Amino acid sequence: MTEQLATMEFHPQPQAGDAKPWAFPAPDRGTLPNGLTVLRCHRPGQQIVAVEINLEAPLDAEPEGLDGVATIMARAFTEGTDKHSAEEFAAELERCGATLDAHADHPGVRVALEVPVSRLPKGLALLADALRAPAFDDSEIKRLVRNRLDEIPHEMANPARRAAKELSRQLFPADVRMSRPRQGTEDTVERIDSTAVRAFYDAHVRPATATVVIVGDLDGTDVDALLADTLGEWTGDTAQPRPAAPITADDTGRVVIVDRPGAVQTQLLIGRVGPDRHDRVWPAQVLGSYCLGGTLTSRLDRVLREEKGYTYGVRSFAQVLRSSADGSGASMLAISGSVDTPNTGPALDDLWTVLRTLAAEGLTDPERDVAVQNLVGVAPLRYETAAAVAGTLADQVEQHLPDDFQGELYKRLAETGTVEATAAAVSAFPQDRLVTVLVGDAAEIAEPVKALGIGEVTVVTA
Amino acid sequence: MPMGHTATAEAGSGGLTATEHRLANGLRVVLSEDHLTPVAAVCLWYDVGSRHEVEGRTGLAHLFEHLMFQGSAQVKDNGHFELVQGAGGSLNGTTSFERTNYFETMPTHQLELALWLEADRMGSLLTALDDESMENQRNVVKNERRQRYDNVPYGTAFERLFALAYPEGHPYHHTPIGSMADLDAATLEDARAFFRTYYAPNNAVISVVGDIDPEQTLAWIEKYFGSIPGHDGKQPPRDGTLPDIIGEELRELVEAEVPSRALMAGYRLPQDGTRACDAADVALTILGGGESSRLYNRLVRRDRTAVAAGFGLLRLAGAPSIGWLDVKTSHDAEVPTIEAAVDEELARFAEEGPTDEEMERAQAQLEREWLDRLGTVAGRADELCKYAVLFGDPQLALSAVGRVLAVTADEVKEVAKARLRPDNRAVLVYEPIAPEEAPDAPEIDVHEAAEIEVQEEEAAK
Repeated sequence: MTEQLATMEFHPQPQAGDAKPWAFPAPDRGTLPNGLTVLRCHRPGQQIVAVEINLEAPLDAEPEGLDGVATIMARAFTEGTDKHSAEEFAAELERCGATLDAHADHPGVRVALEVPVSRLPKGLALLADALRAPAFDDSEIKRLVRNRLDEIPHEMANPARRAAKELSRQLFPADVRMSRPRQGTEDTVERIDSTAVRAFYDAHVRPATATVVIVGDLDGTDVDALLADTLGEWTGDTAQPRPAAPITADDTGRVVIVDRPGAVQTQLLIGRVGPDRHDRVWPAQVLGSYCLGGTLTSRLDRVLREEKGYTYGVRSFAQVLRSSADGSGASMLAISGSVDTPNTGPALDDLWTVLRTLAAEGLTDPERDVAVQNLVGVAPLRYETAAAVAGTLADQVEQHLPDDFQGELYKRLAETGTVEATAAAVSAFPQDRLVTVLVGDAAEIAEPVKALGIGEVTVVTA
Repeated sequence: MPMGHTATAEAGSGGLTATEHRLANGLRVVLSEDHLTPVAAVCLWYDVGSRHEVEGRTGLAHLFEHLMFQGSAQVKDNGHFELVQGAGGSLNGTTSFERTNYFETMPTHQLELALWLEADRMGSLLTALDDESMENQRNVVKNERRQRYDNVPYGTAFERLFALAYPEGHPYHHTPIGSMADLDAATLEDARAFFRTYYAPNNAVISVVGDIDPEQTLAWIEKYFGSIPGHDGKQPPRDGTLPDIIGEELRELVEAEVPSRALMAGYRLPQDGTRACDAADVALTILGGGESSRLYNRLVRRDRTAVAAGFGLLRLAGAPSIGWLDVKTSHDAEVPTIEAAVDEELARFAEEGPTDEEMERAQAQLEREWLDRLGTVAGRADELCKYAVLFGDPQLALSAVGRVLAVTADEVKEVAKARLRPDNRAVLVYEPIAPEEAPDAPEIDVHEAAEIEVQEEEAAK
């Protein structure tokens, strides 16, 4: 280093001041006369109110051969009601500065409204209409089906999306809904019509099994009166709880290459199925997974990015697939990222070395401490907006967790030691029980990957 | 140091205020108090972006941004990330055409740490910068380029459109990611020279927003940044002035391995900071923002020739802004059919102007977007820096929403008529080809592509 020290005056690193108390907000829980569960949470200053709806309409309730009907139904909520055509509904929403998004996933359908508090009454009225009296007009459903069919080739061309589809196909038995794309395939989507959408709606959408979460600056808003006039008008029968099918997965260590000749990078998705948030190991698994690949200073990126420069970043994470209090739920545990084509073999070799070293030597105390400080410390930042709070509250509802789960999680994280975090990380990512999906140029990467001995290598066409 | 004048809250600013200060070395400081949540955001804008780069060294501003995380006199390799995250903070940096920003959001009691870290690298980066960091981050950035642009369908559309819409030699002709060849060619000495030229307190603005004690915060800023010498090494960027109208339709056909045909276009629009630019924002929102826009209704709902259709505005202060049209075709729809429909809608709009209802909808959408942006301390800190750096007055951030709401229907019609015409656009047409003949693979999102991050934060769940 030839540069002479700059002339600034240096000071020692400052010490932290006294931490101010912060707690994950506790919602008020209630039920409307129509059976709709209501969680509300006042967040001072949050002018954009977030409203989240959970509908107990899980993907495994879709009829045989109609994968994607939950998605088309979710999208059709915003395409017209008994009061407005599709175009009018979109215009009315935008007129109150609102956004309304709906999507279907394994545990159910989620509908999210964001609207300035000044226009909350109008926004809630539109949301209530969408749920209470969706038009499901033939022509609009045809358009949504066509639109969905158009999207599929775009997803197949995207390396990250393609890898995710292949991993689900590999992990789960073919007759299990989780093995197949959430939003359906060309074969199944093509069969969906307004009759099928209406039938799915009639069977699975009703206030008695739904929850609404409302978060924002609710000072000066009569939420009870507002709900009575809007979502309170939604009627429906009651339903028997659906038994959830058990989740089984084949995590025999193996490699599947989805061939994309000429690809300049290889998309990696390395995964298996593991415990969800109801399991006692969850906090330790969060901690261990963060130490492995939660950020740029975690073990994986320290080598693959900051030492070798093979990647823009590799992350490990747990994503809940479906969850219930009886312990039948599961999460997808995965490592994901992309590496340049020529370094695919060396990058995987290093990745496995990181896993082996973790299993052999464990995490260190300073590593665990920094992870806890980050995971717990970022809570007030992470939950600054109404939407973030509403999202987590709705996740908890969807996963049948108590309303104070997130708050308790922070306490449990702080109590989790290095040994527990190590054990959880090692059992989450055992080096011989991982399914590796590589979307990349098979001609370039197959041989180097075979040489690593991380499992049998098969090649499928993109 | 006396405290600056506290501005009165402007209409539409949600009661937000900001104060301005300047250190003796030229560092401008903007502070804004908000005690709702115990967090504080620090944001630093350096007045340097890809428009300052010279031929043969595209991508240098962004590569340099990465180097800013590789340690400084008192901070070890990656120490910046470790210390901020260990304090319960989040952080990142991004590079665009017109600026490079660095930001931390901290629990209130850790604010001083973020200030210390930013000052250390502003004053002493070169004592730590070495070949090892340079080679490593060069490879990281090349992999960023592959991941975000080269290895995804339509990934290079943004780059191609800028190359087409801004002439050869123009400072906005190339995008912040730069070319692989130039990334390969950059040397350690280039990086050092870049720092000596652009990284100085008098070429930066720092904003601190949130649960702060302004007097204490300003004292810390003076303590940590006050001794860093200012300098005038900076050359002004090359002139970005262009005629209002391109004068002809520029066109490029891209035959590539993509999933569907696509029509993309960039329209030359008024510079940011002008009333006409706000009017253009409203116009593009009516035409192509959201699912009740004219183009969405026409192409996706009625003609059913497109799977997605939208218009976005990329505001630029140092050159004409660009209105970005993006249409992906449905099934076997042909581009000329779509193009004719787009032209018809634009011509009708230019002739008739917006309806009252359309004005109401567009302005409600734009207002909500502003509330979103100003709704977090980090968003507010970034906007305050933006207006201070690009327009010399941070207070303009707090009145921006009011300006968008003040735009009239006549002004919208006028800008549409003057600018949204075929002889004022660069067009990119994508035609899919089979995998074996594909010359190269090429995603697109104006906002994502315009800013390049050092990493994407993963929220802990």
